[in-house]
Amino acid sequence: MRGNLVIGAVLVGLTVVAALVSFVWTPHDPTLVDAAHRLAPPGGDYLLGTDKFGRDTLSQLMVGARTTLYVGIVAVGIAAVIGTPLGMLAGMTPRGWLSELIMRVNDLVFAFPALLLAVMLGAVYGAGTLTAMIAIGVATVPAFARIARAATMQVMVTDYIMAARAAGRRGPAIALRHVLPNIGSMLIVQASVSFAIAILAEAALSFLGFGTRPPTPSWGRMLQEAQELLFSTPRLALWPGLAIALAVLGFNLLGDGLRDHLDPKLRRIRAER
Amino acid sequence: MLSVEALTVRADGVELVREVSFGIAPGERVGLIGESGSGKSLTALSLMGLLPEGVSATGSATLQDQPLLGVPDKRVKGLRGRVVSMVFQEPMTALNPTMRVGAQVSEVMTLHGVPRAEARERALDLLGRVGVEAPRAYPHQLSGGQRQRVMLAIALANEPSLLICDEPTTALDVTVQKQMLELIVELAPAVLFITHDLAVVASVCSRVLVMYGGRVVESGPLREVFTNPRHRYTEGLLAASKLTPRGTRLPIIPGAVPSRFPSGCPFRDRCAHASPACESDPALTGEGHAYACWHPRD
Amino acid sequence: MPTPAGTPVIEARDLTRVYRASRFKPGVEALRGVSLDIGRGERFGIVGESGSGKSTLLRLLCGLDRPTSGSVRFEGREITGLGERQLRFLRDDLQIVFQDPMSSLDPRMRVRDIVAEPLVALGRPVGDRVAQLLTEVGLPASAADRYPHQFSGGQRQRIAIARALAPNPKVLVADEPVSALDVSVRGQILNLLADLIDTHGLTLVFVSHDLSVVRHVCESVAVMHRGVVVERGLVDDVWSRPQHDYTRTLLQAVPTLEGLL
Repeated sequence: MRGNLVIGAVLVGLTVVAALVSFVWTPHDPTLVDAAHRLAPPGGDYLLGTDKFGRDTLSQLMVGARTTLYVGIVAVGIAAVIGTPLGMLAGMTPRGWLSELIMRVNDLVFAFPALLLAVMLGAVYGAGTLTAMIAIGVATVPAFARIARAATMQVMVTDYIMAARAAGRRGPAIALRHVLPNIGSMLIVQASVSFAIAILAEAALSFLGFGTRPPTPSWGRMLQEAQELLFSTPRLALWPGLAIALAVLGFNLLGDGLRDHLDPKLRRIRAER
Repeated sequence: MLSVEALTVRADGVELVREVSFGIAPGERVGLIGESGSGKSLTALSLMGLLPEGVSATGSATLQDQPLLGVPDKRVKGLRGRVVSMVFQEPMTALNPTMRVGAQVSEVMTLHGVPRAEARERALDLLGRVGVEAPRAYPHQLSGGQRQRVMLAIALANEPSLLICDEPTTALDVTVQKQMLELIVELAPAVLFITHDLAVVASVCSRVLVMYGGRVVESGPLREVFTNPRHRYTEGLLAASKLTPRGTRLPIIPGAVPSRFPSGCPFRDRCAHASPACESDPALTGEGHAYACWHPRD
Repeated sequence: MPTPAGTPVIEARDLTRVYRASRFKPGVEALRGVSLDIGRGERFGIVGESGSGKSTLLRLLCGLDRPTSGSVRFEGREITGLGERQLRFLRDDLQIVFQDPMSSLDPRMRVRDIVAEPLVALGRPVGDRVAQLLTEVGLPASAADRYPHQFSGGQRQRIAIARALAPNPKVLVADEPVSALDVSVRGQILNLLADLIDTHGLTLVFVSHDLSVVRHVCESVAVMHRGVVVERGLVDDVWSRPQHDYTRTLLQAVPTLEGLL
C-alpha cells in the first residue's frame, strides 16, 4: 500500500525533525535539575510536564530522539558495511568454502541474542552508548549478510552478469558495477527494518542500564526512571513509550512501503489483482 | 455462440483496445494474431473478467446468451472455468506448486459443485486424455509440456463451451508444441487462439483476426487472409514470417510497434503506402473477408 | 562459400559437463562427449531444444564455464582451465549476443556504459566509439544517455549487438538472438547481423531451436539432442536429407506457413 510509505515517512520525518531542532533549540535545558518545578503537570511552561528532578520532558524527548537516531545510524551502518560485502561475497561464490564459512559464522552470530551480546560487552568494556551501538550493529550483521547473499544470487544468474563476464569483467568490477546497484533497493528496505530493531534494542539496553549513560537523555532511560512513579505519574512513562512505539512503527512501515514501492515483482502482482 | 460487439478497453483514458467485434460459432477455432502491444491479450482477459486493476472494458460480449461484460464480478466468477476457460503461456506459475496435479484438476470441478468422488474420477480420465499418466505428481516433477497439458485438463474440466488459449505453446519446445496443438484441436470445443506465430495459428484455426494498435485490421477465413492479405500490415507480417534463402535480405516492416499509435490508421507511421487519407480512421469493411485499410493490396 | 582454411577458430574435443546438485548425489550429464570444429569465416549453427545441451556447450565455447572433461581451443590456444585474467585474448576476440535483450542489459546502467563495458573491462580507450557503434547498429547516438527499459525489444537487441562489436571481435556468438522478438522485428535483426558479419568478416556461431532460421543464416549446422551432437553437416543437406531420426522429428514439428497453406 502507498499509505504505509507515507505514514512511515511522516513518523520517521517527525523523529528526525525533533532531533535536528534539538541541536539549536529546546524549550528548556533537558539536563537542568530544577527542584522548584518537580513533577510539574503538562501545560503552561512545560508542555509535557517535568520529571521528578524537574527536567522538562519535551526537551528530553527531543534530545533523546538524537540519541535514538545516532544509535540507529551507527548500528545499521556497522551492520551494512560488514554484512553487505560478506553477503555479496557468499552470493557470488555460492559453492566455495569461503561462502560456506561466512554463512556458518553468520548463523552462529544470528543465534546469539543481541541484548546478551550488549550486556556482555558492557560488562567487559563498560556500559555506554558506543558499546550498545557496536553490540547492536554486530548482532545485525547476519540480517544484512543474508539479504545481500540471497539478492546477489538472484542477480548472478541473470544474463547481464553473463554478458559482463563475456565482456571481460572480473569479480570485483561485477560486484561494484552490476550487483550492488541491483541489490541496493533490498538493502535499503533491510536498513529501515533493522533501524526499527536497533531503536528497540537501544531503549531496552538503556532501560536495563547498559546503554546510554546519564545525563545524556535517552528514551529507554526515561522509561526506566519513570518506573518508580508508574502509578502516581504514569505520563512520565507514557511519553517515552509512545515515542519509541511511533519511531519503531515509522521505520517498519517505511521498510514495508519501500519494499512494495521498489520491488517491481510485487508491483506487478498488485496490478494484476 | 460467442458474440463480441464494440469491445473497448481503456486504462487512464487511453484506448488500448478499440471497437473490437467478432463472433465464434460452436466448434469453430478462431485465431487472434498480433504482435506484443497489439491488444490481443487484453481482449482475451476482458472476456474472462480478468482485467488488471485500473483497466476497464466497455461494449458487449455474450457467450451462449450470458453477458460477460458489465456484470458483477460474482457472476463472471461463476462463468469462469465453467462456461469459458483459459490456458496461459506460462504453465509453471499457473499451477499451485504444493498440490498434486490430479487434485488441482478435480478441485476446479468441486468448486463448481461436482461431487468429490465423481470429480476425482473425471480428473483421472481427463489427465489420461491429455496424456499425463502421473496424477499424483507435483508440478515441479513434470516437464513444461506436461504442465501445459495439466493446464489444458484443468481448463477443460467443466466442459466449457469456449476455450481461450493465450500463447499456450510459446514457452514450449517445437516437438512438444506440435503435440499440444494437436491436443487442443482434438479436445477443445470452440477456441479463441491468441498467438504472434502465424504458422501456429495456421495449423490450428480456420478463421483469423489480425490485430494492430488495439484494433482488428483484417479478418476472414484463414486461408483467404493468409494467401490474399488486403491490409498492408497483414501483408508485411506474412512477408516477414517467411524466411528467404541464405544470402538474401529478409523482407521487413520498418520501425517497431510504438507505445503510442498514431491517430487514424494505427499502422500509417510504418506503412509504405500511407497517404493523407490514412489520417482518418478506415472502417473494417467487407463480407467474410474484411479489412480496414485505405490502400489495400489488390 | 568460405571453406574452413587452416586451423579452425574453435576446436572442441570430447566435451563433457556434469552438473551436481550436491556432492552426494549423482549429477546430470548436460553434455556427453561433444567435439566440433568451427572454421574461420564460417557461419555455424547449433540447433536443439531445451535440455539438448546447446546452452551448456555455448558457455564452454565462450569460456564462461569449465567442462568436467574435454578441451576447447580458440585459435589453437587452450582455454579450458584458464583464469579470467588469462582469458583476455578470448574476451578480445569472441563476443556474445544473448537471447533476451531485456535481461542481458543491466537495468541500472545507461546505454553508454553498457556498450562501453567490454572496452572498459579490457582497458581500452572508449573515445567516441559508443556513438560510432550505435550508428552502426542503426540507433541514434542520443540513445547513449538513456536506460534499456526506454527501448523496444528490437532496439534493445541492437544495443546488445553494439556491445558485442565494441572490442572488434573476430567471432560473434549469438544465442537465440531473435526468438524473444516480434515477427516484424526479427527480419531487421537478422539482416543487421548479416550485414555486420560481412563488413567485419566475422565468424558466426548461431544457436537456435529453429532449424528454419538457422537455414537462413548459416552454412553448416550441428543438431544436438540430449547432450550429444546427433547430426552435422551443411544446412541444406541436413534440411533436405536428414539422416538422424531426431532431426526428422524436429523438422516435421516446426510448422511452416508454406507447408500449411
